[in-house]
Order: sequence, then structure tokens, then C-alpha cells
Amino acid sequence: MDMPVGEFVGFLNLNWQIVVMLAVGGFLIYLGTAKSIEPVILIPIGTGILLANIPLGGMVEEGGLFAVLRKAGIQTELFPLLIFIGIGAMIDFGPFLERPYTILLGAAAQFGIFGTFFLAYMLGDGWLHIMGFSLKDAASIGIIGSADGPTSIYVSSVFQSKYAAAIVVAAYSYMALVPIIQPPIMKLLTSKEERLVEMPINAEAVSQRTKIIFPIATVLIVGLIAPKATPLIGCLMFGNVLRECGVVERLSSTAQNELTNIVTILLGLTVGGMMIASEFLKPETILIFVMGVIAFALDTAAGVIFGKIMYLLSGKKVNPLIGAAGISAFPMSARVVQKMGLQENPHNHLLMHAVGANTAGQIASVVAGGAMLMLIPMFS
Amino acid sequence: MLDALWIVLLGMAIIFAVLGILLGMMLLLNKFLKPEKEE
Repeated sequence: MDMPVGEFVGFLNLNWQIVVMLAVGGFLIYLGTAKSIEPVILIPIGTGILLANIPLGGMVEEGGLFAVLRKAGIQTELFPLLIFIGIGAMIDFGPFLERPYTILLGAAAQFGIFGTFFLAYMLGDGWLHIMGFSLKDAASIGIIGSADGPTSIYVSSVFQSKYAAAIVVAAYSYMALVPIIQPPIMKLLTSKEERLVEMPINAEAVSQRTKIIFPIATVLIVGLIAPKATPLIGCLMFGNVLRECGVVERLSSTAQNELTNIVTILLGLTVGGMMIASEFLKPETILIFVMGVIAFALDTAAGVIFGKIMYLLSGKKVNPLIGAAGISAFPMSARVVQKMGLQENPHNHLLMHAVGANTAGQIASVVAGGAMLMLIPMFS
Repeated sequence: MLDALWIVLLGMAIIFAVLGILLGMMLLLNKFLKPEKEE
């Protein structure tokens, strides 16, 4: 019998890169299950990595499950948009609407996106040519700073970045690392006196009509100024209208639960399926992960610095720590702010202010994504 | 390099412009639509 056994037996096709990727997949599943770090997304991603890297498994080849899902859900930008409907249905804009000033913290904290974009472009085609980062790749890498998985997927898909898999995994992983990345920067940039500032827990309630008008008006304003952000902000706010209008409880519940859960499974598997050894294990991937940390650090620093400006302009009434929650890593960064505020002053509950800044960051990151999608083609 | 700098500046300007308008809208909504009046 003259049969090429290697074409049928998986382990004969193993190499060190595949073994590394199988270990990475296993490690993500371990983090999700044993450490409860973002299990909802890390377990599907980890499983996707395992399945995609089994030699001869055929999952990523033309017609394979992951190839089909990637074509249908990522290249068409369908999955991130459906996820945004679910996120919109889950977000309560109440704390944010009650404290409108927090929107400026959300705006400032997007600097990490643009700072990292600039850095990536300088390392790539813009100046040093150390890496092969084009303007579009740099924009996709910068968007890790949106601290928002669906926005990262959306922007990197539209720009057809060859680093999309690494970018998406970095975006999701760093969200889980917010409690580690943010506190040292927050402490470094603020004085003891600033961290001790107490802020009122309660704010004037907003009307239900405000909660319904806000998402609709936001779509119109964002869409008319930065039209490329329309799919993202439109889906986010559609989900929120379902939640707030009070007459489609079934649809709101479906968006929050069934829709989000189904798309999360498919999205996680597909993202994991994009991490194939031959494409993923490159020096650029490591650099993208490093720049992800820089993006989160710059976001945090910009938010806190803007918080310090508000502290001065308000006559020392705003605690600058809440600026760190301007990134849209919801609700992790708000929890980090609350925890640090309580460590400094056990009577100081900053949570609602931080949640306001956090939801503002969600809107701001979508606007930032739209701005990138608008500006990059203008300069390409 | 200059292009990248322009993108950074314009990007942040767009974000602050859009969110500034949203801030104005929120302040107006909060001023004119009070919960007590609804109830």
C-alpha cells in the first residue's frame, strides 16, 4: 500500500508554531474557566484557536466552518453590528444623562486611539519602516484603544487589515486587564489631595422621555457629522431604544440575551479561527500586543489629565480619578475608579460618576471609529 | 508623518465637536423635560 500517511494523520503535520497556538488556545480556555477572566468571550476564542490549528482539520479552508463564518460575519461586518444592538439594549444611559459633563471625559480618553495610531504609523510606513504597518493597519491597531471589541473588529474589517486577528484578541484581552493597567497610571498622575475629593452620590433624575429622545438624537447628530460611524452608533442606539421605549420588552430581552449570546458564540469562535499559526506567530503580533497596552495607558492618562483640568476649573469639585473611566471598557474601568476612590477615602463613592464617564466612553469610541473610517481614506 | 499628525488632530477635533454637541443636547433635554412634569 503506497499511501501518503501524512495527508491523513494530524499529528504528523505538527510543528512548533502549531503547538504554540494550541497552547495559547488552551491557556485562554484556562483563563476563562479557572480564573473567570472574560469567560464569555475567551472560552469561544480559545476553542476557536484549538479547532483552527488542528492540522488537516479543515475548519479554516474554503467551505470550512470558520471560513464560512469569517466571510459571513466578519468580512460583512455583521457580527460586530449585531453585538452592538445587544450592548445598546444592555446599557442604561441614566447615570450618564444625569451627569452630562462626564461626556467630555469620554472624549478625552479616546486620545489613546490616535496616539497609538501615530506611533504604529511611525514604526511602519510613516517613518522608520521597521514594520509593514500601512496607514490603514496603523488605524486598525490604534482602535485597540477604543477598549471595545466590536468597534475593533468593525474598523479592522473595513480596512481589511491583515492584523485583524491580533488586533481583536488584543482588544478583548486588555479589557480583562484593565484592573492591572489602569491603577498605577491613575496613581502616578494624581495627588493624594485630588484622589480624596468627594463627589455627591445622587444626581437629579432624568425623565423617561429624555432617555428615549437621547439615542435617536445621538444617531442623527453622530451620523450627520461622522457618517461612517452610522452603522455602529445606529445599532448601538437601536438596541437602546428597544430598552427605553418600554413597549417592546420581548425585543429588548431578545437583544440582551438570545441575540447577544448567539452572536458572541459565533464571533468568539470566528475570531479564534482567525488565529492560525502561520499567520499569527509573527513579530508584528507581539508589537501589536505591546501597542495595545500603550493604547490603554494613553487612554487612561488622557482621561485622568482631562479630569485634572475639570478638577481645577470646577474649583476642586471633580475627582480626577473618574477620568480613567472615560475608556469604554464597561464596567471594569468604572469599578477600578470606585475601588481606588474607596481606598483613599472610605466615604467616597465615585461609582455613578465613573459609570457616566464609562458609558460616555462607549459613545466616544464609536465616534472615534467613525472618525478613523472617515479620515484615513482622505489621507490614503 | 504630517498626514498622520493631521489625522490625530482632526480625529480628536471631530470627537470633541460631536460630543460637545451631544452635551448641549443633553443639557437642553434635562432642562426642558423634567420627570415631575411627566408624572
